[in-house]
Amino acid sequence: MAWHVDAELLQAYEDGSLTPSRVMAVDAHVQACAACRASVPAEAAWLDRTWLAVADTLVADRPSPVEWLLRRSGLPEHRARLIAATPALRLSYFAATAAVLAFAVAAAHTGQTGARVTLLLFLVLAPVLPVLAVATAFGPPADSMHEITSATPMAGPTLVLWRATAVVGPSMAMGVVAAAASPGPGWWAAAWLLPAFLLCAGTLALATVLPLPTAAALLGGVWVLVALAVSTSAPLVQGALFGPAAQFGYLLAAVVAVVVLTLRRRHLDPGESR
Amino acid sequence: MTTVRMRDLRKRFGATTALDGLDLDIGVGVTGLLGPNGAGKTTLLRCLATALAPDHGRIEAYGLDPADSRQRTALRRRLGYLPQSPGLYPNFSAAALLDYVAVLKEIVDPAVRRAEVRRVLEEVGLSDRANVKVRKLSGGMRQRLGVAQALLGGPDLIVLDEPTVGLDPEQRMLFRALISRLGETRTVLLSTHQTEDVGALCERVVVIRGGRAVFAGAPRALAQLADGQVWRSAGRPGGGAVYWRTAEGDYRTLGEQPPDGVAVPPSIEDGYLKLLGPAPAGTTR
Amino acid sequence: MTEQTGDAQLLRAVAAEDMGALRLLHLRHAPWIRLRLTRRCADPDVVDAAVQDTFVAVWRDARNYRESGGEAAAWIWTIAIRRLVSTLRGPGHRWVGVAGEAAETVPSAEDLVLLRIEHGDLGAALDRLSPELRAVIQATALDGLTVREAASLLGVAEGTAKTRLMRARARLRELLA
Repeated sequence: MAWHVDAELLQAYEDGSLTPSRVMAVDAHVQACAACRASVPAEAAWLDRTWLAVADTLVADRPSPVEWLLRRSGLPEHRARLIAATPALRLSYFAATAAVLAFAVAAAHTGQTGARVTLLLFLVLAPVLPVLAVATAFGPPADSMHEITSATPMAGPTLVLWRATAVVGPSMAMGVVAAAASPGPGWWAAAWLLPAFLLCAGTLALATVLPLPTAAALLGGVWVLVALAVSTSAPLVQGALFGPAAQFGYLLAAVVAVVVLTLRRRHLDPGESR
Repeated sequence: MTTVRMRDLRKRFGATTALDGLDLDIGVGVTGLLGPNGAGKTTLLRCLATALAPDHGRIEAYGLDPADSRQRTALRRRLGYLPQSPGLYPNFSAAALLDYVAVLKEIVDPAVRRAEVRRVLEEVGLSDRANVKVRKLSGGMRQRLGVAQALLGGPDLIVLDEPTVGLDPEQRMLFRALISRLGETRTVLLSTHQTEDVGALCERVVVIRGGRAVFAGAPRALAQLADGQVWRSAGRPGGGAVYWRTAEGDYRTLGEQPPDGVAVPPSIEDGYLKLLGPAPAGTTR
Repeated sequence: MTEQTGDAQLLRAVAAEDMGALRLLHLRHAPWIRLRLTRRCADPDVVDAAVQDTFVAVWRDARNYRESGGEAAAWIWTIAIRRLVSTLRGPGHRWVGVAGEAAETVPSAEDLVLLRIEHGDLGAALDRLSPELRAVIQATALDGLTVREAASLLGVAEGTAKTRLMRARARLRELLA
């Protein structure tokens, strides 16, 4: 190329005082000539501003499906972000729960004599699933960032309860769907709800004294053991475990658990002495 | 100016005593925490970072008492903390992770949060890695990201548990520059195994052993503890001393003077070793 | 990577999600792209938005860049002018794809001719073209747009743009004869 764009020509280009063909010549030349491109003066403030806008666009993650759902349901952006980072709010966890429940439902539909046993098994195990969800909702070992989380102003009972609710809700909802899909008397579909709620509230209440996984394992284990013991000894199992008297007992116990949880909630903060 | 006071801190984990009546005052500037493994460094930092409650004793940081839940939250608003194992979510990008911590630090406005995330990424030199997932970052970058999250919100009290682990020499230099800049106006307490870190950037050094502070003072004063006990000699020293062969081919001894020993100025490491008691006689390092 | 690293190599790094490489490309190319876009659109806000969109698009599309397909600067410019078109026209800022449409663009022989505008008669001939004919030549031959994109940029129907392009070429041949 025999010529290059000098400052004078560039100025004329900017002013618009060039003939159309000269403008086109400069355009074509600049596109092909690295030296002339580099000679176009750069305004540092403008460069910074446009770069930051570009970088922000690239860095802004699309919200995860969970976060998107939470925001659609009316939660403010920051709270949705907080809850969506709950370790247990992962697709894999829900997939596992759904698989367990689907298996139980499928088993309940097969066989005549086996159906009652399977259904009972379902009723006994279904309340444990939300407890597992709570156990992985916060704190060690489920949340690898718990130590950082603990030292932030958001740490404490509010965050814990938000997260626990966020995982228990879907878990219970899946249980209801599974129960409705199972054969058997209609009330069975709801029979396990109170025990499930009791176990969740109890786990959180106990977590004000013990580490969360220990609390969850203790209550979940006790429930399963007692239920199995009762089912082998009593002939009217569903009556003993899920009848009106038992349900009333669960309700009372759940109220106690909620009261304990409310009174001791600040002990859910890792910085609080136990 | 003293900003943090700790009195008679005690903490046990089962049969193990991690803190055993620790008293410590620290102030604005960079304080380094040295001590053997299991001396209670991490427990001390966790207590100060409000991630753990001591069994006994009192902490007061910027006039706030973390034993009280309201004051604890107020302290957390002025706190930045890098734990020993940060456990940064591997599937988050660097920027998303910082954004999440910024939410935890109550920075609600998304625009303010973005600007703050950008600022701390710039501080630790990770601007160009903002979009990279944590699992794809190198160890040193992850460590810098850990420091970055501690700096979100411009905390007054910065608690860093072994922040220089995994940094290569160049990153370590940049890190020192960053920390000493922070130390001009803030209280920085960091633990380390590197006496060079202490010598390079800490105005004060605290040595803890067995859950108590056994030394608190200037790094130079720590070195002075070994004054007159460090020697160089051409011949191999006898027993009763810690010695090693230097790159120049002579022997450096901490302890009794070897027959042809010439006194040399002690290092921080010498003072530290002297303070904690010499290793078994005749051990080479 | 340094300021001396070539565009093609930077684009490869961008394809590997290196933001540092994109920053260097932005530093190198944003100023002249801004200047050139300003000749086509007087609104600085629209130009700035187009420049930003351009580098976001470079980030997403860098893996589609082929060195054999021409110089990186020309590739980036084509993205920039398309971003300007869609910023100006598209109500939802419709994304005009980069890949796949290249075949429709006008043969590069005319680009080569245009590089010699200042010599001889072509410059004079272009000056004597009516503005709307010149605009369509500019959009296709110089900016590398397809006829449809050129139509969109100029705010006319595609058929009109096609007719104008044919008339412009005929008129140029006539003037140069």
